[in-house]
Amino acid sequence: MKEKIKIFLDSDLLEKYLLDTTTDEETLRVERYIAMYPEVREVYNELQDNLESFAKMYAVKTPEGLKNKITTRIKTERAGRKKFTKYLVAASFAALLFAGVASFFWNQNQSLQQENTIVNNKIKTLEADMRQQLEDVRNQFIVLNNPQTRRLSVRGNKKAKELKAVAYINPVKKLSYINVSKLPNLPENQCFQMWAEVNGEMINLGIIEEASDKEKLLALPYSNNAVSYITIEPKGGNLSPTLDNKVANIKY
Amino acid sequence: MSVLLEKHIVELLHERNDKAISLLYEHYGDTLFGVALKVVRDEELAQDVLQESFVKIWKKSDSYDSSKAKLFTWLFRITRNTAIDKLRSVNTKTTKEIQMDVSDVYTLGVNSTRPEFMDVKENLEKIENKYQIVLEALFFEGMTQQEASDELNIPLGTIKSRLKIGLRELKKIYDPD
Repeated sequence: MKEKIKIFLDSDLLEKYLLDTTTDEETLRVERYIAMYPEVREVYNELQDNLESFAKMYAVKTPEGLKNKITTRIKTERAGRKKFTKYLVAASFAALLFAGVASFFWNQNQSLQQENTIVNNKIKTLEADMRQQLEDVRNQFIVLNNPQTRRLSVRGNKKAKELKAVAYINPVKKLSYINVSKLPNLPENQCFQMWAEVNGEMINLGIIEEASDKEKLLALPYSNNAVSYITIEPKGGNLSPTLDNKVANIKY
Repeated sequence: MSVLLEKHIVELLHERNDKAISLLYEHYGDTLFGVALKVVRDEELAQDVLQESFVKIWKKSDSYDSSKAKLFTWLFRITRNTAIDKLRSVNTKTTKEIQMDVSDVYTLGVNSTRPEFMDVKENLEKIENKYQIVLEALFFEGMTQQEASDELNIPLGTIKSRLKIGLRELKKIYDPD
């Protein structure tokens, strides 16, 4: 270790460092040695003292007025810096304010965009719904007014004697509707469900609720030789018809 | 300079109190002016150098680290570097006339030396010339050791040893014990 310090001191690194002429790498090395080894620190301090002594030998009285010039210049620097700091503070404040306002508007814009999407979707759904209903009404009108429409009276079998319905079938327009005008009362846990068998496929047409559906025409899927029927099913409807509980049959 | 006063100035510098500049000027102004003058060899230029150096000192005051260098070492480095930069920028503008004038002005500078430094001047004379030449080349001419070796026609090893011994001689002069 001692050898290492001796080699370091024999080199001129410390002298170069004293004059600030070391490279960055050398500076790091010198500062490490100064920090780690008291011997090096001692020599460095001695060099610094000697530098001061040496420099003092060359001292020359400064000219009159130079001190004044320098202090005035420092004061201007200081004022400039203060002014700059003031501007900096003002600018930072303005930037912060701007960021705040921008973030507020951004948030507002985001929520407005979301709302806009929701409203747009609602409008689209309503439009589709309306178009669907209008189409339905138009078809009903066509079916009811067409002279080629056959009107079939449907009556319930013995399981539902009170059941009355009218089916409208138009083979030209390939449209069919049914109006269920009266349904017998059922226990609370049961309901009437409408089915259609079209081309051998069983289609669930949904539950019939007398009160609300009295005036309503229910569209039936059209096909040649299709069969529709109404069954009694457990409340809430069934996935496939319970054929034993068939109460009415419409062939068209 | 007393350790206490140096500490006080450093504190003022860190607080960015401009009193520090006044105190520095009072205590180190002449020495630093001498350093600047020795490098640029022109009184006008040396004044500019000193002014610029003090502005740098003021601007860098936050960054002074007493654990890395004594206050004077830090001041000396700033002044020396400013002076060398100044000299280079003037030299690139190339005016031989200025250099002609320089020697005259420099003579004036020496004549205006403070009497209280005279004993120091005498001390300077005590340093053997061969050491003084090397120290001046390195400290004031802004030469690297290699440049000094080439310029003075002295082997690099001799430059190194004269720098070391020269600095030690200084110690002998100030601390004869």
